Amino acid sequence: MSLPEVDVCIIGSGAGGAPMALELGRAGFKVVLLEKGRHYRPQDFIHDEILNSRRNFFMPLPWEEPHLVRQGAKGRYERSTAAWTANCVGGGTVHMSGFFYRLKPVDFRLRSTLGAIPGSTVADWPISYEELAPFYDRAEAELGVSGEAVPHPFAEPRSSPYPLPPLDVHPVAGEIDKACKGLGWHSLPTARGILSRPYRGRAPCSYCALCGSYGCEMGAKSSTHASLIPAALATGNVELRPGCMARTVEVDKQGRAKSVVYLDANGVAQEQPAKVVVVSCTAVESARLLLNSTSSRFPRGLANGSGLVGKNLIFSSFGESHATFRVSKHAEARPWLKDPSPFVNRSVQDFYLLPDARFGFRKGGTLGFMWTHPNPIHAAVGLAGTGRTAVFGKALKDRMRDYRDSRILQFEVYAEYLPTPGSYVSVSDEVKDKYGIPVAAITVERHPMDLAATRFLVERGEEILLRLDPDDVRRVSTSGETTILQHGTCRFGNDAATSVLDKHCRAHEVPNLYVVDGSFMPTGGSVPSTLTITANSFRVAHHLVRSLKG
Amino acid sequence: MSRARPPRSRLSRRSFIQRATFLGGGVVLLGPACKRSDEKPKAPPTDTGPLGTTPGGQALRTFSSFEYAVVAAATERILPKDEDPGALDADVPVYIDRILQTPALEPVRDDFVGGVAALERRANRMFQKGFAALTPEQQDELLTLFKDSPPRSAEAHFFELLTVMTLEGFLGDPSYGGNKGKVGWRLMGFDTIGTVAMAPPEGHDGPKCLRECGVHK
Repeated sequence: MSLPEVDVCIIGSGAGGAPMALELGRAGFKVVLLEKGRHYRPQDFIHDEILNSRRNFFMPLPWEEPHLVRQGAKGRYERSTAAWTANCVGGGTVHMSGFFYRLKPVDFRLRSTLGAIPGSTVADWPISYEELAPFYDRAEAELGVSGEAVPHPFAEPRSSPYPLPPLDVHPVAGEIDKACKGLGWHSLPTARGILSRPYRGRAPCSYCALCGSYGCEMGAKSSTHASLIPAALATGNVELRPGCMARTVEVDKQGRAKSVVYLDANGVAQEQPAKVVVVSCTAVESARLLLNSTSSRFPRGLANGSGLVGKNLIFSSFGESHATFRVSKHAEARPWLKDPSPFVNRSVQDFYLLPDARFGFRKGGTLGFMWTHPNPIHAAVGLAGTGRTAVFGKALKDRMRDYRDSRILQFEVYAEYLPTPGSYVSVSDEVKDKYGIPVAAITVERHPMDLAATRFLVERGEEILLRLDPDDVRRVSTSGETTILQHGTCRFGNDAATSVLDKHCRAHEVPNLYVVDGSFMPTGGSVPSTLTITANSFRVAHHLVRSLKG
Repeated sequence: MSRARPPRSRLSRRSFIQRATFLGGGVVLLGPACKRSDEKPKAPPTDTGPLGTTPGGQALRTFSSFEYAVVAAATERILPKDEDPGALDADVPVYIDRILQTPALEPVRDDFVGGVAALERRANRMFQKGFAALTPEQQDELLTLFKDSPPRSAEAHFFELLTVMTLEGFLGDPSYGGNKGKVGWRLMGFDTIGTVAMAPPEGHDGPKCLRECGVHK
């Protein structure tokens, strides 16, 4: 059954989809916003670890909607929950930690600045930092970001301060500041997508400590669920349809997108015609949707005449170490250990570019410091370990008692994940999800140079931790991927032979199709990309509104 | 008496679950026990009639009384009572019995019940006694054997499942039936520094939310 035509149909309500809905709605266009997941209320966000973190409140069950993941083209596909972000209105912005960094000017010119890299398809962006900067301002103001810009060697230019002052931090932040100063490095306040003060009718943070991986019952976290979506609905021009799983984007005889076919909340197939279709389901799921949208005009998938949809997949390169402080041992010398403040909010970006070409490629990244997540089940499962080295019985209980007496400071590394011909998304010809739609199949092949840079960053982070004189420093990883940060599968560029989207994130091959999640990014940068995706979506919306108004 | 179940030679293969570290809180589902998604969904569990009760008189929903005794003994070896409360003090087996009835865990239920049977079989073969009747040392020997089995084996998978479910029951919200008296939270320090204002509100009904989350009619 076909529904009445609207101006714009947007698929996905997260960091990419919500700004489009808001701006198009404000401009008076009729918008339908399809969201696969549910529309939770703030009071549904409860600090119940089993409900929130260990079942399908956010992420689909791997036996109902798996991703297939393999290491290299010769690897065997395994069913996984990896590379899903939250399936709900607001998408990944609901359970994000909200580390709202901007990219740096060099991220837009990586290839021309640092040179080509054998084995990598690294490419410059078709826009500059200066072109995106006004939309960073816009995104920070619309979402609500708390932070403080301080000078440092890689500080990106800003036209104005953050909309809100920084959140209160734990005294350990001052200790990190001292340690960094001693090393000649810069300890920076981490900007957060969390309100430090009341803002546009929203309540500020209550410092509950369960932030990342949870939804915020205060609405203080600047998810699109709490900020842009309510504003979009208030325009009266945006209709939000939760529980609707897009199956295909259909095209007319001229090869223009004409409608979105989706399964509604009752599992009934619907067809929503639209003058413009905007896809924003995450880099993995958007590629899947386009690849599944085959037609005689596009037999290899929509907008995929070039064969590039799904290629150049990039995540964020990940590393982590933990410093443990025994509270009872240090209670007198370091009374701050007992301070319950949840936020550390310190970052180090002195190695955003490496000082030399020792690893062949000079891109480094960001270190972000934080307390380990206080989820007790997650912590205890980690203490138990896995496989032959796992422990149980008294040994496990002793570790749990030690945990009680510990505060654990950690850093995460966000580093460049170089695009390679071996990292890509395809669709499975065997496995379908519970809707009967072929699932995304992800092949991961890392470039050795970014692994070396990530290890370098972990070593620098450990130097900082050791200066705090903890009881123990434990390296967790130097070679991981943060798969909820995903980009590149519909990269944008000026050349239709080497990119899927043009500089306005419009498909080269389909003039009324836009992709506005992380798919457009030919390089991921060395920070979490949520703010960048949102800013870019405001930029694309600005262009689209103007072109629709003629 | 154990209920009749279709014979099964092996448990499902363990699936590959990648951590989602960026989330910090481990938004990782129970993980193991992935099934092929193109299999037909099973009919909901039929009412098997009263399965018996726990020694404390609580009605069982997943396990027979016999199976429950094996589960109780095994979870108590994962978290034995010492100067601090153990799995039985926290009603961990009650939690597992109830949580395995939730629809999301259907594949896990099959794996878990199959694992209990495998543990029982191995106990009989090695010691000519049921698992629950063994000494704690013998029970630990058997569990270690399961733990140290090859990574993708049914035995290793069951050991991991047992550990994870025990910790969920020990440290989850008490409304799910475990963590009785919040003894688990106390052991881990969930009641001390850095953990203020984090527990769900009084009267929170986790199982109800699991059933109904997102249904806002």
